[in-house]
Amino acid sequence: MAAARNDGWMVKIGLEIHCQLTGLKSKLFCQCSSDYRGMEPNANTCPVCAGLPGTLPLLNEKAVELAGMISLAFGCKIPDRIMFYRKNYFYPDLPKDFQITQYNAYGVSSIGAEGKLEYIPGAGSGADTGGKTARIRRVQLEEDPGRLVYETGSMESSPFALIDYNRAGMPLVEIVTEPDFIDPRDVRIFLNKITSIVEHLGACDTSLEGSVRCDANVSVRGGNRVEIKNVSSFKEVEKALTYEIARQKAKSDREIQVRSETRHWDDARKVTKESRTKEEEQDYRYFPEPDIPSIALGQEFLSAIQSLTPELPDDRKARFVSSYGLSPHVAQVLIDNKQLADFFESCAKINRSPKEIANLIVTDLMGLVGDDKKDSGAIFAGLKIRPAHIAELAGLVDRGVINRNTAKQILGQIVKTGEMPSEVANKTGASMIQDADSLSKAVQEVFRSEQAAVQDAKKNPNASNFLLGKVMQLTKGRASPKAALELINKKLKEEQARPD
Amino acid sequence: MGDLYRLTASQITSGVRNRDFSAEEYICEILDRIEKVEPKVNAFVTVNKEQALNQARILDRWIRDGGNVGPLAGVAVSIKDNICTKGIRTTCGSNMLREYVPPYDATVVTKLQNSGAIIVGKTNLDEFAMGSTTEFSAYGPTRNPWDISRVPGGSSGGSAASVAAQECAVSLGSDTGGSVRCPASFCSIVGIKPTYGLVSRYGLVSYANSLEQISPMGRTVSDAALVLDLISGPDEKDHTTTATPAIRTTGGDIGTGADADKRGLRVGLIKELTAGADAEVSRIVYGAFDLLSSHDCSCTEVSLNAVDYALASYYTIATAEASSNLARYDNLRYGFDMDPEGYEWNTYFAKARSNFGPEAKRRIIVGSYVLSSGYYGKYYLKAQKVRALLKQELKSLYKDYDVLIAPTMPILPFKIGERVEDPLKMYLADVDTVIANLAGIPAMSVPAGFSAGFGVGVQIMADEFKEQTMLQAAQIVESGAGVNRSPDL
Amino acid sequence: MVTKEQVKHLGWLSRLELSDQELDRYTAQIEEIIRYLDKLDSIPLEDIEPIYITKKFTDLRKDKAELFSSNPLGTKYRKNGFVKGPRMA
Ligand SMILES: [Mg+2]
Ligand SMILES: [Zn+2]
Repeated sequence: MAAARNDGWMVKIGLEIHCQLTGLKSKLFCQCSSDYRGMEPNANTCPVCAGLPGTLPLLNEKAVELAGMISLAFGCKIPDRIMFYRKNYFYPDLPKDFQITQYNAYGVSSIGAEGKLEYIPGAGSGADTGGKTARIRRVQLEEDPGRLVYETGSMESSPFALIDYNRAGMPLVEIVTEPDFIDPRDVRIFLNKITSIVEHLGACDTSLEGSVRCDANVSVRGGNRVEIKNVSSFKEVEKALTYEIARQKAKSDREIQVRSETRHWDDARKVTKESRTKEEEQDYRYFPEPDIPSIALGQEFLSAIQSLTPELPDDRKARFVSSYGLSPHVAQVLIDNKQLADFFESCAKINRSPKEIANLIVTDLMGLVGDDKKDSGAIFAGLKIRPAHIAELAGLVDRGVINRNTAKQILGQIVKTGEMPSEVANKTGASMIQDADSLSKAVQEVFRSEQAAVQDAKKNPNASNFLLGKVMQLTKGRASPKAALELINKKLKEEQARPD
Repeated sequence: MGDLYRLTASQITSGVRNRDFSAEEYICEILDRIEKVEPKVNAFVTVNKEQALNQARILDRWIRDGGNVGPLAGVAVSIKDNICTKGIRTTCGSNMLREYVPPYDATVVTKLQNSGAIIVGKTNLDEFAMGSTTEFSAYGPTRNPWDISRVPGGSSGGSAASVAAQECAVSLGSDTGGSVRCPASFCSIVGIKPTYGLVSRYGLVSYANSLEQISPMGRTVSDAALVLDLISGPDEKDHTTTATPAIRTTGGDIGTGADADKRGLRVGLIKELTAGADAEVSRIVYGAFDLLSSHDCSCTEVSLNAVDYALASYYTIATAEASSNLARYDNLRYGFDMDPEGYEWNTYFAKARSNFGPEAKRRIIVGSYVLSSGYYGKYYLKAQKVRALLKQELKSLYKDYDVLIAPTMPILPFKIGERVEDPLKMYLADVDTVIANLAGIPAMSVPAGFSAGFGVGVQIMADEFKEQTMLQAAQIVESGAGVNRSPDL
Repeated sequence: MVTKEQVKHLGWLSRLELSDQELDRYTAQIEEIIRYLDKLDSIPLEDIEPIYITKKFTDLRKDKAELFSSNPLGTKYRKNGFVKGPRMA
């Protein structure tokens, strides 16, 4: 995808990622539940989050801790004290008609600032030589607004909106990067890394719909910056950015100036569309939130969050390589999604064939996961797969009962039925043919029908692979490749010994 | 009987407790008094008649059965209508909240009720407490009980008038830039603005969060002090309260055990403020100064340089905070009857919000102006720095002085309507009071004399959490000024 | 100088519907008020830092969930539990 390279186009992409702190019990400023999903509309509200007159925000201590842990994981500096600001704008889903957030224009007030995060770009992105780094501008804590729904399903055709404030006041961590990305594919990889980190921290259950949202801004050739909002998944972020870069380049080619604006991603038509903006940045009238004192953090806070921080993805990857003997690439794929990494470790606990398990997961099982689920915490949703399955399957392969090809076929079946691999193998007779009688029958058969190849192989040992392939074909892949090859070579030697 | 309504809070509680009269008798008299004087004064937005009578009866039964009673048992209190009362509508003097009934009680309301007080009604105020006259209310102006053609001061004018007109014993107001001390002075009663963080603001509808405190008012220093004692202390529902022990005024009896200190009080009179006041006002302030002197206080005239900038600082911060606080009144979640269906949302918001009165609109716009991008450093930040400077200057004065005194208001109560269309002139009258709000220190107004039939209050300010010292000085002024008259109504 | 255009824009940011007369009147009054606030320019403040109240992070609210006992939303304009809002487009 040459379009995305920095071939003089100076593509600049920056990200604004919102993660809900679903790992908390209560909202950011009140005691309402953070587990609002599935509740009756407006059942999860109180005077504080409904913005009633006279109420005051009460900052959640644990939210500050989790946001601090996230900041540390992103290599951010944590200031000695943090403050909250009001961002003033009107919107029907915003109970106080301002958002309590953090703001650094008048001095650093956010929980994290000036961090950086390394990520490994995917193969073929033109940077196979190692990691790339994106700088993190800031990490801030803020409240989520409520939610608007439309009876007709669309905003345009509804004569009124329906408002649900259950989400209002949910704690969000906003992560803002510098415009350090040039390739939309890197963005997707980076986003996966971020979700893996917040999952590992127990801060955010990314399998919950809408728990991670990403807005992006993009410019080409130093032109105006365009914000892209309303993107539903990381895959769509990649698509939206690719589309938007092409759009801006086309404009630039015709020497039309790109307008500085906010555009919405139209999921159905796969285009970005102009959208009427709310307030412009300069109209937010930020000022320090007078109801929340500045919060002193200092060394005590740092020590507290350091001791609370569990193993993070990068350390886990190193451990996967050193203790399980996995390749860095396989380990990377596993830790990019915490569910996947956890799944792997559960399997590895049952059966000590970590390499085979990792292979089965990374190559075979992932092949069965829908593209839309690959980035999500609900990676195995809809698949009837448990660690015991993969553990047993890996054992069968390791002991030579089935070959890898058969294992793949069996996996394809059990994710639908939930049966154990050994049951399937027995039922279908899928076990490998290892007994000498059946194998030599098959080899003899091939030697009869492939005379020319046999002659060839007598002179060129590499050609025996062709004969093996034929044996596999004949046995529908059930022959033990190792045993079959031994037989073939033995027979070739016999033939060589015989004069032509 | 027939004049129970004149009693002070401590007299009522002891009367009810000793069964000299019943709470019901007393509350009935109060309600009669309200009915009689309200047409002239208009101190109340809502009179809480049924509930008040009910509570009085319950209390009487409780006492008959030998139950223990709290320190405000049976006392009729009024509450400024920007302090939330569960089940009693809370209008903030605004059309925006004409029908608003809070589903929760302010912390101070819970505390008062737990000490046996009976809420007789919600008092009038300038819309959302923005004003110094109680003329900017959607429920009509409150009138000064001493002369009903004049303003009672504001914004807690309804609370002050209800206390002065003996429609209740004590009241809760709120003081953001003088909103309790100003009407206390104009209505010749006592009003105490506590140290910022001493009293919970949970349930106080915000006008300017970083400046305001709920503030007690009474006809005597000891009544106001008694209420202060009961409502103060840290509250887990308000992060801005401070974990400092509540001010013990020992049941309102400030003098007890503190007589020795009283002799030695070091009093400073702030020259700049006294010089800027009307001659009559300054005469009375100097009178109080002499009185303190004659009570063995050492009295000195002192300078406070930052006063020149205090008012500009105050109006910058107050309007900035207000413009944001008043945003939530978009009429979607609560408010008055206006169906949103069919309206485009911006139109609905603008239309609903056009129900704000003129002063609220002005302050919203001024506040938006000073917070505008590019102006933050010019106004808001400088205002905060002036605040810090003022605090510094006061801190160093309080090394040498226990209390500072000044006029509460530089002027006498003026005619209703006189300043309505001249907002700046009205703001300028707050010059003496805003200092305490900016610095977060306690300040109170205590009646110190009369001029042309109007009470004039002297303002006493102390260092943070030195309410006790401030109250001692106030009692000296109160005892010497001989101002315990009541208006003819 | 505070202009009528400025006041109009600030009015829009605050979602206040202002009539032409209101605009004229407020512009004049706000000009006068802002000129008064300009007093802040005449005091040297370079060396002064604003003071903000500070709390320790351990004094914050503990993460406990508790449902509010009644419905905090007073509006009668509701549908299936939702609050009815105006049209968004
Ligand atoms: Mg945000
Ligand atoms: Zn809530």
